[in-house]
Amino acid sequence: MRLLLIEDDELLGEGLRDFLRADGHVVDWARRLVDIDAYRGEAFDAWLVDWQLPDGSGLDWLRAQRRRGVTTAALMLTARDLLADRLQGLDSGADDYLVKPFAPEELSARLRAVCRRSAGMAAARVHFGDVAVDLAARSVWLGAERVELTAREWAVLEALTLRAGRIVAKSELEGLVLGFDAVLASNALEVHVSSLRRKLGRELVETVRGLGYRIAEAGAAAGPAEAATS
Amino acid sequence: MKAAVPMPSISSRLLRALTVWALVWCGALALAVWLAVHEETDELLDDTLQATAELLIGPLLRDGAPAPADGAGGVKPGGSRRFVWQQVSHAGPAAVLRRSVGAPVVPLLATPSPGFSTLPEWRVYGVALGRDSQWLYVAQTTGERVEAMAELGFAVLLAGLPMGLLGLLWLRMRVRQELAPLLALSQRLADHDPLQPGATLGPAQHAELHPVHQAIDALAARLVQRVAQERAFTAHAAHALRTPLAGIDAQLAVALREAPAALQPRLLRVREAATRLQRVVVGLLTLFRSGLELQREPLNLHTLVERLAPEGLAVRVQATQPVSGDVDLLTAALLNLLDNAQRHGAHEVRISTPAPEVLRLHDDGEGADAARRQGWQAALDSQDYEGRMGLGLMLADLVARAHGGRMRLIETASGFAAELHLAPMPDLSQPET
Repeated sequence: MRLLLIEDDELLGEGLRDFLRADGHVVDWARRLVDIDAYRGEAFDAWLVDWQLPDGSGLDWLRAQRRRGVTTAALMLTARDLLADRLQGLDSGADDYLVKPFAPEELSARLRAVCRRSAGMAAARVHFGDVAVDLAARSVWLGAERVELTAREWAVLEALTLRAGRIVAKSELEGLVLGFDAVLASNALEVHVSSLRRKLGRELVETVRGLGYRIAEAGAAAGPAEAATS
Repeated sequence: MKAAVPMPSISSRLLRALTVWALVWCGALALAVWLAVHEETDELLDDTLQATAELLIGPLLRDGAPAPADGAGGVKPGGSRRFVWQQVSHAGPAAVLRRSVGAPVVPLLATPSPGFSTLPEWRVYGVALGRDSQWLYVAQTTGERVEAMAELGFAVLLAGLPMGLLGLLWLRMRVRQELAPLLALSQRLADHDPLQPGATLGPAQHAELHPVHQAIDALAARLVQRVAQERAFTAHAAHALRTPLAGIDAQLAVALREAPAALQPRLLRVREAATRLQRVVVGLLTLFRSGLELQREPLNLHTLVERLAPEGLAVRVQATQPVSGDVDLLTAALLNLLDNAQRHGAHEVRISTPAPEVLRLHDDGEGADAARRQGWQAALDSQDYEGRMGLGLMLADLVARAHGGRMRLIETASGFAAELHLAPMPDLSQPET
C-alpha cells in the first residue's frame, strides 16, 4: 500500500516509516502540513495523520479533504485520548483513531483493516477464481498452493486487489507501488505485472489498452486455497 | 466497631429549644397566674366572710333571745354547709347559742378571737356582738377554699397549655419554613455542576444566604480556572510524553526486525521495559485526567482483562458480582498490578469479585511477609506512598479512591492478594432524621 505519513516527531515518524516500509508498504513522510502540497495529485491508499502539527491541525486538514470529496482512508495518530477527542476525530472524517503510544504492529493491522473496509471488503481473504489473496497475512494462493511473491509483486497485487473491478491507471499504479521518490525504469511496472501473471495466471491482471490495469471483481465463494489453509 | 455518631441538626436543636422554652413558659405563666389568683381569691373569700358577719350582726342583735342549738337559727334548711356561722357565748365555758345548718355543734373557737383565724378545717371570722360576751363566728370550710383555688388554677392551665402548644406548633412550622431555603440550597448544590459553561448558583432568595451563594460562585470560578489549567497541562503533558513513547516503541520494533539474532533478546527486554513505562505513563495521565470526570459504567471483566494480560502471565477471571467503574482508570490500575505480579515472579493471576464493586487479584508470585504487607497497608491508608511502595500499588489505590473506595491488601497462604474496593465506604456521619 502507498501511505502518506503526516507526523512532525522525528523519532516516531522515522520509526513508523521504516517499520511500514519493512512491512512492504510505500511510505511518504510529510513533517508539516505545508509539505503535503508536494504530494498533490498523488494517489495514496491511506493517510496517517497526526492531530497536532507545527503549522496547523491535522484534523482540520483532514476535514478540508473530506469537504473536497477526497475519500482516501485516514487514520488519526494522536496523543489526545479523551472520548470527546476520539469522537471529534472520527466525526471529522477519520476512519480510525489510534492513541499514542501504540505498537506499530497494531497500526499496521488497523491500516490493513481500514483499507480493506475502504475498498468495500468485509474479509481479509478475497478470491479471484483460483487465486486467493489474504491481505492480512500478506500471502497469496493459487489453488491449494501458496505462491511466493516479491515485495513489489505483492504491492502491485495488493493495490489492484483493493481496487478490484476498476481500471487503475498505469501512472497511479506506479505511484502506489513505487512511491513518490522512486526512480522508475520505463518498464518497471510491466515487469512486475508480467511476473504476477506468470505466477498466478495470465487472466488475473487484465490490461485495458491505453487506460491501465484491472483485476476482476472479487468472488465471494471460498476457493480451494481457503480449504487448503483453513 | 465504631458506633454511628449522629450529626447535630439545626432543625432538631431549634425545635428542642423551642419545646423546652414553651414548656417553661407555660409553667411559669401558670405559676404566676395561680399565685395571683390564690392571693386574690383568699382575699375575696375573707372579704366575703367579713361582709357576711357584718350582715348577720344586725338580725342577731334584733332577735335578742337565744335560739336552740339545733341548727335552725334563721337559716333555711338545705342551705350551704360549706359556709356556716355560730353565735357563741363566752360568758362561761364557750357555748353555741345559735348556728347555721352544717355548723359544728361545738364552738369554732373556745376563746374569743376577733378577726380571721385559721383552723385545720375552717377559716373563721369572729366579731363581738356587744352583749353578754356573745360572739359571732362566720366560717368557711378549708376544703371549699382549696377547691375554689384548684378550679381556678386548672382553668388557668387549661387556657395556658393550649396556647403554649399552639405557639409551639406554630414556631415549629416557622422553623421548618425558615430552614427550607437551606434544604433548597443543598438540593441546588447537589444539582450544580460548576464545570458546565456559564454555570453559576445564581442570586439567593434570602439575604442570609447571599454571602453563601457568593462564596460558592467564587469557589466554583476558582475551580473552573484550576480545571482549565490542569486540562491544558494534561493535554500538553500527554502530547509531550505519549509521542516520544510511541517513537521509542516504533524504533525498537524496527530495530528488532533489523538487528542480528544475538541482539534480539536484549532489544526485546528493552521493548518490554518501554511497554511497562508506557503503561505507567498512560495510567498516570489517565488518572490525572479522570479525577475530574469519572466515567463509571458496568464492566465486563472478561472483556476488560482479555487485552491486558502481559505475555507469559495467565490471567483467570471469575466474576460473580457486579462491578462498575471507569474503564480507562481500571485498565491503568490492572495493567500496573498485573505488571507488578509478573515482576514479582507470578505466572498466574486470579481475578475474582468477592462482593459487589470489589475486585480481588491473587497471584502465585513470591508474595510479601506480614510486616511488609502491614507497612504497605498503613501507607495506603494514610496515602503516604512516597518511598514506601512501588508505583503499581499507589496507582491502584488512587484509582480505587477515585471511585470512592480503597485498596486492601489481603493475607493469603501463598502469593500476593489485593482488593480494589470501588464503592464508597459506609458513611458514619449521617445527619439526624
